[in-house]
Amino acid sequence: MNQILVIALREVTRLRKRFGGGASPITVVLLLAVVGFSAFSLRDTISLGSGLYRVGVSGDVPTIQDSRFSIVAVDLDKGYALLEQRAIDVFIDGPRVFYREDDKSQYAVRALKQYMEIQELARIGSSFPEESAFPLKVEIYYLGAGQAAGETAAGETQPATQPEEVIIPSLTPPPAPFTQVIVALLYILPITFISIFFTSSFMDEKINRRLVILLSAPVTPFQIILGKMLPYAIFSFVCTALIAVLTKANVLLALAIFGPTTLFIFAIYLMVPMFYRTFKDTTFIAMLVTTLTTSYLVIPAMFTNVHDLAYISPLTLAVKMYRGETFGWREYLFPSLPMAAIFGFAMFAGTRMLNEEFLMGYKPITRKIADAIYLMMARSKPYLAVPLWSLMVIPGVYMTQVVLLAFATNLPFGMILGVMLIVSALVEELVKSVGIVVLVERGKVTSTRDILGLAFLSGLGFLIGEKLLLLLSINIVSQASVSIAIFGAGLYPLIPLFAHFLFTAIVTLLRTKLRLPYTLALGAGTLVHFIYNWYLLRAIL
Amino acid sequence: MMIPFLAVVKKELASVIRDRTIVISILIQLFFASFSSALLLGMLSLYDSDTIMQFGGPGIRVGMVSAAANPLEAYLSERGLEVIVFETVLDAENAFYQGGVHAYIAVPQNASDTAEIKLYLPDSDAVSSLIRMVIQEPLKRYENYLRAQNDIEVRYADLKGKPTTSYEFIYSVLLPMLMFFPAFVAGSMSIDSLTEELENNTLQTLLSTPLTVNGMVAAKIFSAVILSITQCAAWLILLQRNGIDLQNTAWILLLALIVSGITSTSGTLAAVLLKDRERSQFIYSLMLLAAAAISTLLNVSPITTLSRLAIGDYYTNGWHVMVFGAFLAGLYLLLLKFSRRLIV
Repeated sequence: MNQILVIALREVTRLRKRFGGGASPITVVLLLAVVGFSAFSLRDTISLGSGLYRVGVSGDVPTIQDSRFSIVAVDLDKGYALLEQRAIDVFIDGPRVFYREDDKSQYAVRALKQYMEIQELARIGSSFPEESAFPLKVEIYYLGAGQAAGETAAGETQPATQPEEVIIPSLTPPPAPFTQVIVALLYILPITFISIFFTSSFMDEKINRRLVILLSAPVTPFQIILGKMLPYAIFSFVCTALIAVLTKANVLLALAIFGPTTLFIFAIYLMVPMFYRTFKDTTFIAMLVTTLTTSYLVIPAMFTNVHDLAYISPLTLAVKMYRGETFGWREYLFPSLPMAAIFGFAMFAGTRMLNEEFLMGYKPITRKIADAIYLMMARSKPYLAVPLWSLMVIPGVYMTQVVLLAFATNLPFGMILGVMLIVSALVEELVKSVGIVVLVERGKVTSTRDILGLAFLSGLGFLIGEKLLLLLSINIVSQASVSIAIFGAGLYPLIPLFAHFLFTAIVTLLRTKLRLPYTLALGAGTLVHFIYNWYLLRAIL
Repeated sequence: MMIPFLAVVKKELASVIRDRTIVISILIQLFFASFSSALLLGMLSLYDSDTIMQFGGPGIRVGMVSAAANPLEAYLSERGLEVIVFETVLDAENAFYQGGVHAYIAVPQNASDTAEIKLYLPDSDAVSSLIRMVIQEPLKRYENYLRAQNDIEVRYADLKGKPTTSYEFIYSVLLPMLMFFPAFVAGSMSIDSLTEELENNTLQTLLSTPLTVNGMVAAKIFSAVILSITQCAAWLILLQRNGIDLQNTAWILLLALIVSGITSTSGTLAAVLLKDRERSQFIYSLMLLAAAAISTLLNVSPITTLSRLAIGDYYTNGWHVMVFGAFLAGLYLLLLKFSRRLIV
C-alpha cells in the first residue's frame, strides 16, 4: 500500500512539473478562461442546422434569435424578388408567411414553425391569464395489462384513481431522454479527458525509460499501475461527485453508477500505452477508443424507456436517476459488472505486459497482441490458462457484439441477422482459438491430443461465461431475439458445448497442423459456426 | 531543393500507410457516418412524430369517448391515426383490454373554456411514449382551438413545411464532421511526426541532409494535408453517390484543404514551441476549441460556411473560402518565424 502511495505521489509531482514548469498560475487561469469562454460561446451557437436558413422579414414580426436563421430586413417587393431568386428561403410579411414549393424552402418553413411556436407560447403566456392561455389539461392514466376486463364489466365503474400526471400539451414535450442523456454525458467527458493524461504519463515514462528503472525497483508491476492510476482515478471521482453536486443529484448514487464506468475507461486507456509503437499510433488508437467508448455509453442510453437493451449502458441508470425513477440491483449490475470485469482483466493483462521486452519491442501490431496473450497465459498450466482465458474475455466479447449490433442496424433489414451471426461467430471463434494457437506457436503445446483437450476446455470456459451472462441479462433483455441466437439461450448445454469444442478444434487444428494462415483457419471455423447458428435459429423461429 | 522535400513527404506517407494507423482514422469516420446516417438519425426520428406516422402511423388505433362532437376527433384523424368512437368509458376500456385500441381519450361532458381530458395509455413505456409523441400535434391543435374560443389568436400556427431533422443533420453535422475530422487528425499527426523526431533526437540527423528546417516542416505539413484531403474527396464522392445533393463541391474541397492546412500548421506551431507531445497535443486541442469559439463569435465559422456552400446558399461564395486562405497564410508566416527554434 505504501509503495502505491509513493508512486502516486511521484506521479502528481511529475504532472505538476510538466505543466507547471516555467509557466505560472497565469497560464492555468488563461487555459480555464479559454475553456470557459469556448463553452459559453458554443453553448447556443453550435446547434443542429446552424446558419442553414435565410429569412426575409418585413413589417411587424417577432424578433428571430436563433442560430439557424439569418435574417434580412427587406421591403415587400424586394422580399418577393429575393424569394423568387432563391436568395432567401422564407419571406415573412407581418402575420403572413411566403415560401416556395422546393425542399429548401419547405425545410425552412418547418424550422420557422417550430421556432415561432415557442415564441408565440411565451407571448401568450405573458399577456393572458394562465387558464385562458393554456386551456387544455390532459390527465394521463396508465392501464396495466394485468387488470382483467371482466372485473370492471361486472358493473363496477372505473376506480377513481389519481392521474399519473397532468400535462398541458403545449408546455409538456413528450418524454425524450435527450436532455438527461446530455447531462449524463457531462460525467463521461472529464473522465475521458483525465484518462488521456493517464495515458500520456505512461507513454512519457516509457520513452525516457523511467518505467524500466521503476521495474527494476522492488515494486510489483501491479503496484506501479495502481500507483500511477490512483491520482487520476481520485481526480475522476472528485469530478463525478462535483458534477453530481452541481446538478443536484444524489452524490453516492452518481458515484455508484459512474464508478464502474470510470474504471472501464481507465482500463481501456491503460492498454493504449502498452501497445503503441509510434506517437501516431497513440493518437489514432486514443481517438478510436474515445469514439467507441463514447458511443457504447451514449447510444444505448438514448433508448431509455424505449427498449430494454438501453440497460447495457450505465448512462441509462443516470438518465433514470435524473428522472427520479428507480432501478433494481439487476438493472445496476447488468451494465456495471461487465465493465468492472473488463477493468479487472485489463489490470491483470497490464501487470503481465509491464516488462521491458514487451514495452520496448517494435513489432507488427498483430504480433504484439499475440505476445500479450502469451504473456498472460504463460505463467500457469495450459489446462488452466485456456479455459480461464475464454471465461475472462466474455465481457469483452459481449461488449464487442453489442457495438457490432449497433453497427448492423444500419444494414438493410434482411441482412442484419445474417451479418450479425457471421460477425459474432467470428469474434467468438477468434477469442476461443487465439490462446491455443499462441501456445502452440511458442511450443508450449504440441500433440494433437493436447490441442483437442484445450479446444474442449476453451469451449467449456466460454460456455460457462456465456451462461453466467445470460443469467444476468435474462428478465432485463426480453425482447432481443438476436441476442438469444448469439448467446444460445434455450438449449441443453451439452449441444452447445460440443459445438463450441468442434469449431475451436477446427480452427486450431487447421492452423497448427495443416499450417494454414490463421485468417483462413478462422474463416473456416466461423463458417461452420455460422451454419450451426443459422440452423438453430431456424428451429427457434 | 524539391527532391529532399518529396523524399520527406514520401517517408511520412509511407510510415502512415505501413503502420496502418490511418485505417483507424477512416474507421472512426465510417463509424460515425454509418451510426449517424441510420442509427442516430433513426433515434432522432424516434422523437419526430412525422417519421413515426410515416412508418407505423396508420396502425395506431385511438379510442375516443365524447358526448358531443369534438374537433379533437378530426384532428386525430387528420394526423393519420385511426379513431374509434365509443359511447361510454366502459366500452372503450373493454376495447382497450381486448386489443381493439392502443389508447383512449375521454372528454368530459361539460366542456367549458378550460377542458380537462383524460388520456389512458398502456403501461408499457415504449408504446405509451410513442403514442404520446404522435398525439402531441393534435392535442396542440385542439389547444389552439380552445384558445380561439377564448379570443386568443396564435400566429404562424398553420405553417407546415417538411421535417427538417435529416436535412439539418446532414448539412450542419455530418458533412462538416466528415470534412473537418480528417483535418483535426492531420493536425495531431503533424504534432506526432515532429515531436517524435524531437524526442528521439532524429531531427538533427534529418537536418544534416540537404534539407532546410522550413523545407522539412513544410513537407510534414504537406503530407498531413494530402492524407486529409484524400479522405475528404473520397467522402464527397461517397456522399454524392448516396444521393446527397451537394453544391459548390470544388469550393468545399478547397475549404477542407485550407482548414487542414490551418490545423496542421497550428499543430506544428505548438510542437515547435513546446517540443514535447504531451503538452503540444493538449494545447493544440485547446487552440482548436478556442478557434472554433472565436470564429463562431466573429460569424466566420468554417462549419457554417461549409454548410452554406453545400446547400448552395445565395450569399456564400469563394470569397468566404478565401478568408480562411488568408488566415492560413498568416499562420504559416508565423510558423516560419518560429521554426528556427527547432535547431537550437
